[in-house]
Amino acid sequence: MLKQNRDREEAAKSMINIDSKAWQVMVAHAEAKFPNECCGAMIGRIDGDEKHVVSAEPMENAYAGAQGARYELRPEDLLEADKRARAAGLDLIGIFHSHPDCDAYFSKTDLENSCPWYSFVVLSVKSGKFDHANSFLPNAEQTVAEKEELIWPKS
Amino acid sequence: MAKVLIPTPLRQYSEKQDSVELTGSTVGEVLGALTAKFPDLRKQLFNDEGKLRSFVNVYLNDEDIRYLKKDATPVAASDTLSIVPSIAGGSAGVAPPPLASLSNDEIMRYSRHLIMPEVGMEGQLRLKNASVLLVGTGGLGAPLGMYLAAAGVGRMGLVDFDVVDFTNLHRQIIHGTKDVGRKKLDSAADTISDINPNVKIERYDTMLSSENALEICKNYDLIIDGTDNFPTRYLVNDACVLLKKPNVYGSIFRFEGQATVFAYPGGPCYRCLYPEPPPPGLVPSCAEGGVLGILPGIIGLIQATEAVKLILGVGEPLVGRLVLYDALAMRFRELKLRRNPECPACGDHPTITKLIDYQEFCGIPHHEPPPAPGLKEGEIDPLEVKEMMDRGSTFMLLDVREPHEYLICSIPTAKLIPLGDLPKRVNELDTATEIVAHCKSGARSAKAVDFLKQAGFKKVKNMKGGILAWSDKVDPKVPKY
Repeated sequence: MLKQNRDREEAAKSMINIDSKAWQVMVAHAEAKFPNECCGAMIGRIDGDEKHVVSAEPMENAYAGAQGARYELRPEDLLEADKRARAAGLDLIGIFHSHPDCDAYFSKTDLENSCPWYSFVVLSVKSGKFDHANSFLPNAEQTVAEKEELIWPKS
Repeated sequence: MAKVLIPTPLRQYSEKQDSVELTGSTVGEVLGALTAKFPDLRKQLFNDEGKLRSFVNVYLNDEDIRYLKKDATPVAASDTLSIVPSIAGGSAGVAPPPLASLSNDEIMRYSRHLIMPEVGMEGQLRLKNASVLLVGTGGLGAPLGMYLAAAGVGRMGLVDFDVVDFTNLHRQIIHGTKDVGRKKLDSAADTISDINPNVKIERYDTMLSSENALEICKNYDLIIDGTDNFPTRYLVNDACVLLKKPNVYGSIFRFEGQATVFAYPGGPCYRCLYPEPPPPGLVPSCAEGGVLGILPGIIGLIQATEAVKLILGVGEPLVGRLVLYDALAMRFRELKLRRNPECPACGDHPTITKLIDYQEFCGIPHHEPPPAPGLKEGEIDPLEVKEMMDRGSTFMLLDVREPHEYLICSIPTAKLIPLGDLPKRVNELDTATEIVAHCKSGARSAKAVDFLKQAGFKKVKNMKGGILAWSDKVDPKVPKY
């Protein structure tokens, strides 16, 4: 039990810091797609336990069906984003999506369709306006997502 | 030698290399060579059965190998293999319960829930983390508020602007005799806190309206409609459809009730059942038609049961089924309801995309015209009627209420002819005698006066305010009902 708690604390040390320009793009995309979910990629650098997002790329929600509570990223779009990031000497380090009129938790659907390699930032948009956000790190088995410290520019 | 691009997060397993040159004639061979070179990568890409993990896609140049020959896809030296995750998600699906725990006192309190596997700790925590909005704390809201509090619903919003009245007490058991004259919100909150002090209560001392409904409803997981008028029914329904929140519906009249869950994903909404409101005045309210005091207990608790099931995620929700209850026959029936694809609110091409003016939609004037001060043409004040009696004037006092109302109270000397019987008993009246008609509050006797005038009676008047005004102004010994 104690060890588990310690592991959790250590995991919680990981942190993702989002630049103001990237953050503006993410919030604007999330609000523009309201009441649907939006999605996109975050590009930046990883420095030990600290991730730094310098740009965000809005992507098309490719989910075939009502998008009010679902999103899907096209792997091709991610592949392109990854190539562009490499060309710029940066890395694809995270995925963002929105929860319209819903809190920024990591839902069962999020978890079961996640990938353990990236940070997952969820933006809660309520009545069309950004409300709050959280970042998560899912495991490879898609059974648990630890919360990660998320820092975004507060105006 | 084919090139494999390594995504950033996996480079910690590839000695920091962002691409690796490997030999192999098929995708399977190249991936085998990759994981042979970097054994730690294997666990990231393959599951225990040796299959690629569900979120791993492999692209040969710009094509997904799933649409080529999968593992057997041939690889040339100039080819590039990319590892691309597949990612999706969404707020759909149940949120994992936020980290919370029950205190020892709570564990004791909910023990009979906790020992049922369908509830257990997980379910009780779901209840604790749940939020429910009760629209109305009257007949339906009373059992709902009390039982949902007892069951351990963590947060409850109450919407009501009314004050407890003596006529509420025969059914609204969340309020007591001592509460008459208090705000229903305060009285209901006291009862709920007494039953379960763990419930967080949020009070909205207002009438739910198009202006505030979305703002209030959005803060709750589900909305329970305990109201008794059509504009609010449509308002709650549309707000729930727009916010994608279930609307646990119930209604009562005399000895009969209905309940169902509207606006549940894929299920029908109130407008699928009733596309148009009835003409104003056609369906009497409980105040007009009466209601068996016990009835809201039954219907409110069907709503409470559905609310708890939705929160726990157990059982078969009352979606697409309208339960009809008849207390006199003691019979439950069920009607199938279907979502109407043409429904203006929840259909495939909804036209209601924001809240509308529901009073207007239901044909109800915004503000009842205030009763004119003084008397209208053809009206007479109860005090004047009393004076006529005292003077010994010859006139006939005509009571047009129903016989069971006459038994509650009556004015001495009044002759009873119920409004509905008037046409066939009009020959009992004399056109030469002055007639003063009365009912409970003046509406039915106004109709009687109109009828009699058309039938040729000239000397007919309507006693303003009915027997209630008589009790207020002339004889307080006459009870009010």
